[in-house]
Order: sequence, then C-alpha cells, then structure tokens
Amino acid sequence: MTVQIDPEGTERRLLLRYADFASAPAKHVLEVGCGDGRLTWHYANAAARVAGIDLHPDDLRIAIADRPTKLVERVGFARADAEQLPFRGESFDLAIFAWSF
Amino acid sequence: MVHALKEAQRVLTPGGLLVDLRPLLDRWPVEVASSAEQHEVGRCTDLVEPLADDAAANAAMADAIESGQWGRDLQETFPLFYYWDTPDEMREYVDEDWSDVITIEEPLWHALRSAWATADPETRVRLRMKMQITRYRQITAVT
Repeated sequence: MTVQIDPEGTERRLLLRYADFASAPAKHVLEVGCGDGRLTWHYANAAARVAGIDLHPDDLRIAIADRPTKLVERVGFARADAEQLPFRGESFDLAIFAWSF
Repeated sequence: MVHALKEAQRVLTPGGLLVDLRPLLDRWPVEVASSAEQHEVGRCTDLVEPLADDAAANAAMADAIESGQWGRDLQETFPLFYYWDTPDEMREYVDEDWSDVITIEEPLWHALRSAWATADPETRVRLRMKMQITRYRQITAVT
C-alpha cells in the first residue's frame, strides 16, 4: 500500500512561512504530535533544536529510525503527553501542534 | 486541550509562537486525478466524534484569545492531497488509519472504481483534505 502525501508541497511551504524561520532562524522548536516525523523533516534543517513528542511509540520508532545522522544532535523524540510536558519553562521559541489539537 | 494550551504557554518563551496545523472535517472530496484532468467522484462522510473534537478545540482557543493569553496573527485554509495508485490501496489506508474519522460509503467506492477503471492508465485516486494553519503569539505567560 503506497500513499503519497502532499506532492504539491503546500503544507511544507505554509509551515515554513508560519514558523517564521526566515526572520528568527535559531529557533528552539517543540512539536506536539510529531508522529513518525513526517512534518519534522520539513523544517528541522532550519531549526536550532527540535523536540518532538508523541504518545505512540511505534510512530516514534519510525521517526528515530528516519532521523538523518547530521540531525541527531539537534533533533530528539520522546514519548510524552502534551498535557504534562517534560520540559522546563520558557525553553522553546515555537510550538507546533501537528494535527493534534 | 485546555491543559495542553497551558503547557504550551509554560514552555514557550515570552512572545513565543504556536502554530496549529490540523485537518478540518468538511466532507472531503474523493477524486480521480491525472496530469490532464481531475474530477470529484463523491464526498466522504464525517464521523460525529471528531467533529465535536474540532468544535471543542476551537472553543478552547477562542477562550484563550478572549482572556488575553494568546493573539492570533495568521490563519488560512488550504487543500492537502493524499494520492494512491488504485482505489483498493486507498480503501485499505482509509480502513486502517481513518476509520475513526471518516467513512466512505459502498456506493462511492463503487463509483470510484468505475471512474478510475475507465480513465487514462496514469490516473490515480486522491482525497482532498481541508487543512487549517494558524499562528498564535503568546501574550500572557504562565506564572
């Protein structure tokens, strides 16, 4: 079963514009509901640091397996609940709620 | 949802941004598409519970804006396409991944198979999802 998602690139283009990496490139990003990292790879190169969280371990395993070597230091994934974030206060410049509201 | 918003406020720096990207149920069109032409065959059916979740999320965010915690500075909707080579592949995906969100009735599957089978060989099937992206700016930090 093969699915192709957004070959037009609309979602990626809008996400990059809304995340405003152009005017503030060194962003620390929290992605809530990162799943298998499909959206993460759209912007990870533009961020200083990314923390992706999700409740589904199978999806997180895919995200970790797909993580490019050059991003290992900057992009991390963890199983966590959006209602109890395991992070200190004021540690991110941008939060992305990815299909998770 | 309310707790997730409060947590986002807590971990964001003052003036930090929140980007909310999500699908909006809207009886998404089911289409056949090739490079030469695209047309709608029918529309899927939205399930009730996710519609209620959408409404609850919108209400929670509206409350947060009303109370001065967040300001909304950008918002738009856009189409997001999922493509499959065949109707059967699409059906397998929908049954596995989206059975708690939408249903596609049997007559529509039948119509989709017919439309795809009689189209150009390169024709694929696709779902046109309605997406919404919104950017909020934190006004009041959690203390």
